[in-house]
Amino acid sequence: MAKKKGSYAGKILRVDLSSGKIEKQDLDLDFAHKYIGGRGFGSRFLYDEVQPEVAPFDPANRLILTPGALFGTAVPAASRTTATSKSPTTGMFGDGHSSGHWGALLKSAGYDMLIIQGAAEKPVYLWIDNDKVEIRDAAKFWGKTTMETDQALKEKLEDWDIGTISIGPAGEKKVRLAGIFSDGIMGAFARTGLGAVMGSKNLKAVATRGTRDIGIVDVPAFKKAYQDYLKVISVDPYVPPATKYGTCRFMYHRVKFGIHGAKNWRLGDFDWKPLDPEVFRSDYQIKASACPMCPVRCRREYRIPTGKYAGTVTKLEWETIARCMTCGVNDPEAVIYFSHLCNQYGMDVEGIGDTIAFAMECYEKGLLTDKETDGIKLHFGNPEVLMEVTRKIAFREGLGDLLAEGSLRAAKAIGKGAEKFAMQVKGSEMSAGDPRGMPVRAVSYATSTRGSDHLRSNPYVEELITPEEALQFFGSAEAADIFQGLKGKGRLLAWSENFVTIGDLLGLCKFAYYRSAAFSYLRQKGLDLATRFYNVCNGTDLTEEEMFQAGERAFNIEKAFNAREGAGREKDIIPERFFKEGLAGGGPSGGAVVDREKFDLILDEYYESRGWNEKTGLPKKQTLKKLGLQDIAEDLAKRNRLG
Amino acid sequence: MPKTNERTGTRRKGMKRRVLYLSLPDQADRICSGCETCQMMCSLKNTGAFNPKKSRVKVLPLSVGITIPITCQQCEDPWCQRACPEKAIVKHKTQNIVVVDAKKCTGCMACVGACPFGIMVYDPEKKKAMKCDLCGGEPACVQYCPSKVLILADNRGSAEIRRRRFAALLANEDASARHNIAGAEQIKILPATLTQLAVSAAKQLAEGRV
Repeated sequence: MAKKKGSYAGKILRVDLSSGKIEKQDLDLDFAHKYIGGRGFGSRFLYDEVQPEVAPFDPANRLILTPGALFGTAVPAASRTTATSKSPTTGMFGDGHSSGHWGALLKSAGYDMLIIQGAAEKPVYLWIDNDKVEIRDAAKFWGKTTMETDQALKEKLEDWDIGTISIGPAGEKKVRLAGIFSDGIMGAFARTGLGAVMGSKNLKAVATRGTRDIGIVDVPAFKKAYQDYLKVISVDPYVPPATKYGTCRFMYHRVKFGIHGAKNWRLGDFDWKPLDPEVFRSDYQIKASACPMCPVRCRREYRIPTGKYAGTVTKLEWETIARCMTCGVNDPEAVIYFSHLCNQYGMDVEGIGDTIAFAMECYEKGLLTDKETDGIKLHFGNPEVLMEVTRKIAFREGLGDLLAEGSLRAAKAIGKGAEKFAMQVKGSEMSAGDPRGMPVRAVSYATSTRGSDHLRSNPYVEELITPEEALQFFGSAEAADIFQGLKGKGRLLAWSENFVTIGDLLGLCKFAYYRSAAFSYLRQKGLDLATRFYNVCNGTDLTEEEMFQAGERAFNIEKAFNAREGAGREKDIIPERFFKEGLAGGGPSGGAVVDREKFDLILDEYYESRGWNEKTGLPKKQTLKKLGLQDIAEDLAKRNRLG
Repeated sequence: MPKTNERTGTRRKGMKRRVLYLSLPDQADRICSGCETCQMMCSLKNTGAFNPKKSRVKVLPLSVGITIPITCQQCEDPWCQRACPEKAIVKHKTQNIVVVDAKKCTGCMACVGACPFGIMVYDPEKKKAMKCDLCGGEPACVQYCPSKVLILADNRGSAEIRRRRFAALLANEDASARHNIAGAEQIKILPATLTQLAVSAAKQLAEGRV
């Protein structure tokens, strides 16, 4: 009997938009089991195909779309696709992750990976109908918003079951904060400016119809693992608030620690009451919805029933609320409308929010005047201004043209010391909560391979670990102390980064697998069950250690990519403000700064634990060799970029 | 009088049962979340692989944030059966429903066009029609629905569920009309549309137009 087909589709699709050449190649299963999928495939191909000489908007840059290894099966919350490219925001490794149907349909059509290279002369879209792949004229869709493009494509192709990814006007205009949007506004590969890469290739959208089966090897074992997953989430206290409020619930976390980072990361306290999760739930929520296959159901769509923004319906996540607070806005309807604008124009809310907050502070300090802002009074807390500037950025009008380059590039253009107000890491704007008072969080923003990012490392592990567990896993009970702990923190960070990478390889949602109320649940979901799901779907017998190592491998490839681009320890740094200015406000983090000495000590321990050189921050030869990346070690040695 | 089983909505053995979508406006989180687990579990149980195209239950995204699962209603005098020129839609061995005899089915799709609920499914690979057979009594969609909004109900049970749901909708409308509470308008708009739909559907049914 032939071996049963696993969760891989079996082919790699490569489309060259310059020549119009379409190539299909078989997926090597040994390669697949080594790199697993998603971020693992993306990072490996990007490293091999995009050299340092290639600029982000160069046609030679690749846009690689890789659904997670388990996406397309019924594994709970397996719904993530990774998009990888050299980032126009950071100039280094860039990727984004999105839910939606598109990735599963790509696999259903028969492809585990879509690589787009070259650039079309005229606007085009890609139509993948199982084996048939066509590059088609997109003149009719150019200029449409993300949602309009999705609808228009479905009408044009006369199929409402197809999946699409598309860019909005911002991506077309190569706004460096543009994202790629999946199935209208169902999900977004938002960060690191991937929408601009797609725009630079003149690619408006990819529409996909897939009708084939995604296989599974061991059905009874799958059902058993499924029940075990349900058992874990039924006892985990983390889940009920997630189902009740969606991601808006993180407001309570912010309030608990006083880390709002309002008004361009200056205030820990903020008048957050109008943005209470309960307000969103009772006044605006349409219902508790979910991404494909997810039993946690923390996805939310909101509708504004009355007032100025009446009729607005959009998806919104916590970061949008947080970014509005960064701009000093605390009107829930303005938050929803801001999310709506960013979704429709196809932009990253985090980047846009932080960039506008940066401009507001420059205006406050007199670095930007009415002349440069086209007469807009860029005051904190004014929703009208937020909307107007957001629109201007999307269409690159006046001030928007400057801000569309992102906060770091805009600061350089403004000069006069504006750079210290640009809150960014590696050129990518800040995300999540204020790191002051929490040293390991500060380091985690710095070490992220795609610029400031809390999801790269999930440093929240320190909040739920007990001192005993910390001693057992990270060699020091101190690792469980959020504010004072020092020893073991670097090891915790490295472990956590490898750990959450597993989710990106398999396409599992981080909220469903890599957040929990207790460390034991977290390990059980994120490592044991994730590995079991992979094994039962593919008939493999990977151990937990091997799966963990696959996560470490993907992270090291990204690090090597950045090292090859010239980034070393000096790039693993957070904005100066966090070291120098105390966080205004009360709460546990009130008045705190990030202690530079502590920051460096944790970073030292982190590099040591990763097997990277502590002085230069570059990966060592034996580390890469241990992970089976000899060829990358040799490549780095040739370029003198080994640690 | 026998009590209705809370979970299954079933009163008596041997009665015609069907998978129904039940959401009550008074239980805000008990609503179809659009996760599509039912589709995947249906295709897994019936074909041994994952493919929403081969699922006998379909989750329909109506607009942003609104998804409704459509299920086979196991009609008393099924249109699919009447339309089949090959008499391939036959009585189930044990249950009081009809199923497709794959040997006789020629894939002409007459049943697909005839089903008033649009839930006859066509397998593009095997070129055969497929319909919900309640998985032999324990439907996978009901078993795995995370929001617990898909239930297996018999005729009497489903009428009772519909009644409860209809009453809850009316009560909600009534409440929002009487109290000018926060978000009243939002509550009102959705159920009002649903109510209108229910009323017009009932009328059409009565007039024999469906």
